[in-house]
Amino acid sequence: MNTPTLASANMPFFQKLIFGSHGASEAAAWSDGLFMMITWFSAFCFIILMGLMVAFVIIYRRRPGVAAQPSPHHNLNLEILWTVVPSASMLVFFVLGVRGYAMKMVAPDAAMELKVDAWKWAWKVTYPNGASSPETNFLSFQSNMDELEAGSTDPWMETKGLEYPVFYVPEDTAVSLRMNSQDVIHSFWIPEFRTKMDVIPNRYTGYAFHTPKLRDSETVLDTTSMMQIPGRDMWIFCAEYCGDEHSRMAATLRIVPQETYDAKIKEWGTPKDPIVLGESLYKTMCKICHSVDGTPGTGPTWSSTNGSTGFGYEAALANGQSVMRDDNYYRRSILDPNAEVVTGFVPSMPAFQGQLSEDDIHGLIMYIQSLSDRNPNASESGEENQQADDSAGSEG
Amino acid sequence: MSSTDHAHHEGESYFDGPPGVLSKVWQWMSTVDHKKIGVMYLFAVLFMFFLGGVSALAVRYELLDPVRTVETMNEAGEMIQYTSGERLAGLTNIMGAKNANEVYNRIFTLHGAIMVFMFIIPSIPASLGNFFLPIMLGAKDVAFPRLNLLSWYIYVIGCLFGVFSILLGGVDTGWTFYTPYSTTTDADHWRVILMILAAFILGFSSILTGMNFVVTVHKLRAPGMGWFDMPLFIWGVYATAIIQVLATPVVGITLLLLVFERVMHIGIFDPSMGGDPVLYQHFFWFYSHPVVYVMILPGMGIISELIAVHSRKHIFGYRAIAFSSLGIAAVSFLVWGHHIFTAMGELAAVLFSGLTFLVAIPTAIKVFNWIATLYKGSIAINTPMLYGLIFLFTFSIGGLTGLPLATLATDLHLHDTYYVVAHFHYTMMGGTVMAFMGGLHHWWPKMFGKMYSEKGAITGTVLVFIGFNLTFFTQFFLGTQGMPRRYANYVDEFQTLHIISTYGSWILLLGFLVHLGTFIVSLIAGDKAPPNPWGGLTLEWETESPPIEHNFHHEPVVTHGPYDFDKVVPPHWDPKDYPLPENPSSH
Repeated sequence: MNTPTLASANMPFFQKLIFGSHGASEAAAWSDGLFMMITWFSAFCFIILMGLMVAFVIIYRRRPGVAAQPSPHHNLNLEILWTVVPSASMLVFFVLGVRGYAMKMVAPDAAMELKVDAWKWAWKVTYPNGASSPETNFLSFQSNMDELEAGSTDPWMETKGLEYPVFYVPEDTAVSLRMNSQDVIHSFWIPEFRTKMDVIPNRYTGYAFHTPKLRDSETVLDTTSMMQIPGRDMWIFCAEYCGDEHSRMAATLRIVPQETYDAKIKEWGTPKDPIVLGESLYKTMCKICHSVDGTPGTGPTWSSTNGSTGFGYEAALANGQSVMRDDNYYRRSILDPNAEVVTGFVPSMPAFQGQLSEDDIHGLIMYIQSLSDRNPNASESGEENQQADDSAGSEG
Repeated sequence: MSSTDHAHHEGESYFDGPPGVLSKVWQWMSTVDHKKIGVMYLFAVLFMFFLGGVSALAVRYELLDPVRTVETMNEAGEMIQYTSGERLAGLTNIMGAKNANEVYNRIFTLHGAIMVFMFIIPSIPASLGNFFLPIMLGAKDVAFPRLNLLSWYIYVIGCLFGVFSILLGGVDTGWTFYTPYSTTTDADHWRVILMILAAFILGFSSILTGMNFVVTVHKLRAPGMGWFDMPLFIWGVYATAIIQVLATPVVGITLLLLVFERVMHIGIFDPSMGGDPVLYQHFFWFYSHPVVYVMILPGMGIISELIAVHSRKHIFGYRAIAFSSLGIAAVSFLVWGHHIFTAMGELAAVLFSGLTFLVAIPTAIKVFNWIATLYKGSIAINTPMLYGLIFLFTFSIGGLTGLPLATLATDLHLHDTYYVVAHFHYTMMGGTVMAFMGGLHHWWPKMFGKMYSEKGAITGTVLVFIGFNLTFFTQFFLGTQGMPRRYANYVDEFQTLHIISTYGSWILLLGFLVHLGTFIVSLIAGDKAPPNPWGGLTLEWETESPPIEHNFHHEPVVTHGPYDFDKVVPPHWDPKDYPLPENPSSH
């Protein structure tokens, strides 16, 4: 499977040991170089210091009846030397550090601007044409099918990692990020670009990177066409602690040729079946808390398989009231989720007011309806739905 | 208390009390003797170290493998799904958590909060500092003995708040309580407020101890002891005390604002009400950065004693070490911004980066001085000295790996990763805890009047050293390769390093258990300690082991420097056993 890989060839042994892979941009490679320079400096100092320490301990170990030999209690020249040399080195690191910082922070004039939104616990990237990626990807997928075919007697077993959104960016392009959080502080980290910035609720933050050119050998699996296409995947991690699913707040950044990128965002920008739209929004934005198989997560399930939840069923609220789960209930729950919290859950969902378009909200509600056995759009459940509407009216 | 004091005879050790268990307990609980208070602090902080250590082991245990959803066929041939790798899931119901991730989040928060607020801040100053600062100054007690007892009680109350919060299920804010997460999580429960109040209360204990030590150092030095005749341990504790007094009130105000924010929604950190969540980080680190020097400066003081005494050498560059302690204390107030490089403007980031490099210089100077002290010494390889050498090893790694964090370009990558986790464990555990262990072995005979088994202690020391490096050196690589902090789960490629790290934590546990056993055997069956087992020249070695109630039979008069090993035969030593060089060096 097309797991983002951190392995790569052609780098010095120690650098590979430390970073696992090349920095993916010029700025990243530059800061890796600076890191290695500081590390070699540190290793040099450390070996000298420890070498002296061990040598002194061996040479001057205590012998019965032998006194310590006199030596000066201080030595001004030596002390000046070991103050000035480290100070000068620090100055060099400081200046180079500021230069590398500027390389990572300052976007070229022609940079493509991506809007990044964060909430507990997902990322959303909006492209310049207003579209956002509906694609997701299973990562860390493993199966022992190959071993079974080779004659292994272990039971068939397949392990899945988690499903993460995939964000596309074109190769060899300057990209700048404008980031904002809807709830707590997150941090948008792309390890292969060696940079991160906190994503904060009350202001925009951001940084810039230049995507690498793809090499011929780099391909990824396109989950819509199920074909290998040219591309390179990288991890995106949330680096600022943000609660229960902090460690699952990841995504894939996929570098693809310009044509692939253009085709993708054109496709995402055109209208589609609302249920399909709803399902793709679900996978990228809602799935981490809401299941569609009846099991409760951080939030209630959307499925009606257990006969008491889902569209058309009443919800008991934490404040003791109950409310019918109808279209307006779901609309309110998306836009102002903490007004009506279902009993047994704690208010933890961010408000999506202003974050989703009318089409998005409609798509999500259509998708939620499609999961229920009281779906008014399915002809055979019309009667049940009538009852549901009546009781919703009487609850008022 | 004065009534019991009069019942004592001259020459009786400080812990000979009245007969009867109850009167003994009352005598300890109401004591104003700095030595008893020091011992009570010692046991309290060691208990907190145990609690924090257990949560650390739980964190490492969870991280043995990544979480996976497994699809397989059961015996009946049906497809089933289960989740593997959630090793702490069994605690979900016990802790009242929503899921295994929340259990993990609560446990790493407990580890941080306990280790920082309840163990490492009070560890050296409040236990060894309380016991030895007055004796090393030649005083009968600290300047305000009753205030000293009060600060112990405040410490215990603070710890009880923390423990009570844990018993109610614990909190998942992280020990740093970052807003707006900390003001919104677990909104219907008051255990978060309990934990914040615990840190608030512990701050008062810290302020009172600091104030007491500042006054003691200024007013109660023995006749003949000028500022530059003070042992360097005193200089370390003195610099610490100044930071405690100046910085702790800031965190007190900050934590109180946090409680107001949670309870009354005043909006100072809440963006929807015009507040700023990053303001909290500035307030918090304005205290919590100086406080890392509260943690390390007393440790550095101990190392100066250990290196000098056990190599029988005058400390090299006494004044440089003393002034670098004060220098570190001063600069420590100007560098808090380096915790927030990824959430501040460019100009501020550049300024804080430059200031941060300043802290590296006095720290480096201290290490050079310690190593220069070994030159031409008479170096004993015993447990305190081994810990001193281990400190030089681990703390140097901790300090040097801080350079890429102060450098802006590389910090953008390393911030909030396992690299930072490894770095501060190398400074805090490789620094402060190693110094604390060294100091404890160095002064154990003096405190309890018993020697310990050198073999047992050295075995423990070697295990701690191996376990510590296995646990934390791996984490540098995890960080550079892309593993973020505070993750309950991780992607597969990090597993090998996590496994090594967890195995290391078990060796570390074994090492501390060996130390614990050695200390218990020493208390029960240890040989009686001589007054001056190592040949030290500071004043605590002039009195008995353990010291008498009032420390000294007569007020000591200081006639030599604390490190004049080439001129003076140590107290209680026969000149035959302590050869002096023929041509002592001059200053």
